Amino acid sequence: MNPETSLNAVPGPVRKWFRKSGKVAELVFDHTGALGVLLWSVIRAALRMQVPSRAILRQLYVMGVESLPIVFVTGALAGIVTSQQGGYQMTGAIPQYVLGSLVVQTVVLEMGPVLTAIVLVGRVGARITAELGTMKVSEQLDAYHSLSRDPIALLAAPRVIAGVVAMPALVGFADMIGILAGMVAANLDSGLGYESFYYGARLFWHSYDLFYSFAKAVVFGLAIPLISVHMGFRTKGGAEGVGRTTTDAVMFMTLTILILDAMFPPLLLN
Amino acid sequence: MIEYRQIHKSFDHPVLSGVDLQVEQGEMFALFGPSGTGKSVLLKTTIALIQPDYGDVLIEGESVYASSAALYRARRKVGYVFQNAALFDSLNVFENVEMGLAEEELKATPTMEVARRVWRALEIVNLDPAVVLPKLPSELSGGMRKRVGIARAIVGRPKILLWDEPTTGLDPVNTVAVERLITRLSGELEVTSLVVTHDIEGGLDTCDRVAMLDQGKLRFCGTPDEFRTSDDNVVQAFVDRAAAVRALDMAEAP
Repeated sequence: MNPETSLNAVPGPVRKWFRKSGKVAELVFDHTGALGVLLWSVIRAALRMQVPSRAILRQLYVMGVESLPIVFVTGALAGIVTSQQGGYQMTGAIPQYVLGSLVVQTVVLEMGPVLTAIVLVGRVGARITAELGTMKVSEQLDAYHSLSRDPIALLAAPRVIAGVVAMPALVGFADMIGILAGMVAANLDSGLGYESFYYGARLFWHSYDLFYSFAKAVVFGLAIPLISVHMGFRTKGGAEGVGRTTTDAVMFMTLTILILDAMFPPLLLN
Repeated sequence: MIEYRQIHKSFDHPVLSGVDLQVEQGEMFALFGPSGTGKSVLLKTTIALIQPDYGDVLIEGESVYASSAALYRARRKVGYVFQNAALFDSLNVFENVEMGLAEEELKATPTMEVARRVWRALEIVNLDPAVVLPKLPSELSGGMRKRVGIARAIVGRPKILLWDEPTTGLDPVNTVAVERLITRLSGELEVTSLVVTHDIEGGLDTCDRVAMLDQGKLRFCGTPDEFRTSDDNVVQAFVDRAAAVRALDMAEAP
């Protein structure tokens, strides 16, 4: 049978669904492959010592130091809200000191790494995509190539390395602020003493939780700059293209963070 | 010498369809053609900023696409002047021009010598180094940005200069100034120049040979006189249209 004829035998909506699925699969493979190549190129540039340390320090400052205020606010609010909502639910037979455990576990295992990552998507990821996208459409990336300079070593690698280094530090900071804010909120809201909070926190604490939190931070810290650099390098079509790619990148990064986050419990908590 | 052999390139549609072209050593060569005919694409294939689907580019007899080492050697021989200068926004003028020197050259050259070469390159393009060196590209006018872009292209003493629409976006006064600069530089630096331009009259006045691309193919290649007197209808129509646009530009100039 002629392939065209056999295709026509398939009902229209089914054909449309297959076509759409095919396009989505193509897009996913395309991006995944390109991200793999980018990651490999970054590792190769780092191993060959081609990445300027000045550029890494600058990116560490932009991603790390400049993000501290917003991470402080996010971490504190995460701790306060967890403490207040937990306190509201623990008015029954559950001992109040369990609130300490609830706040610490929630902040360290989930809120600290994920909220910090989401904040960094907006603050750092969007900025990187817009910056590199503008460089792409204004031929600055071509200029790097024409001058025999490697944009991977000079632009991509410093951002990725800084992300992997800065993110655990920021998550550690967010965890600490979140726990302290939660402890103060538990005291003010539920009248839970600091000793009781500390007792509850220690009761269910495992050092592994901290490793889990930092493992998430390293993975998110790699994913955010990697995706934002990848999207920036693929920008097309002038100012409008930069805007469109930046929006896509933010959506792509947020979704990736949430998917990666969902993969952690079955991989590391079982 | 630059030699393009059977260059094919398609994006959504064919842009270049088998272009063969030779630019001789020391020659000033202009490439004309209506918008979207692949002039800039052809120029970018010279140093693999865009890779052709098929075909090869040879610089001084060596294929640019033979190996990454060959591409590196080719890029070190070429200075590329981008349409909108493509200066690095986060670097000041000194750092931008300094980037025109090869990495190994930068490492081996004393700082004062690097500074002297950057200074000299800016003087050659008629900019006052003392004024522009610390400025960021955003603090420069369009004409100045273009000159800094030219300084970056020439500071590494290339053998070939590629100019991608160097007068686009400039007013008629700056257009003439940049045209004179191109002619002067090609003579002073004894380089081979390939200029992609919409400015037909300027190109015909200054270049040794010209070529015209039309619908992805080489329509004409010869001397400026042969171009002016060509009996090819497409060439003639293009010349007439360009002359009319130029006359309009000059009439509107302050």
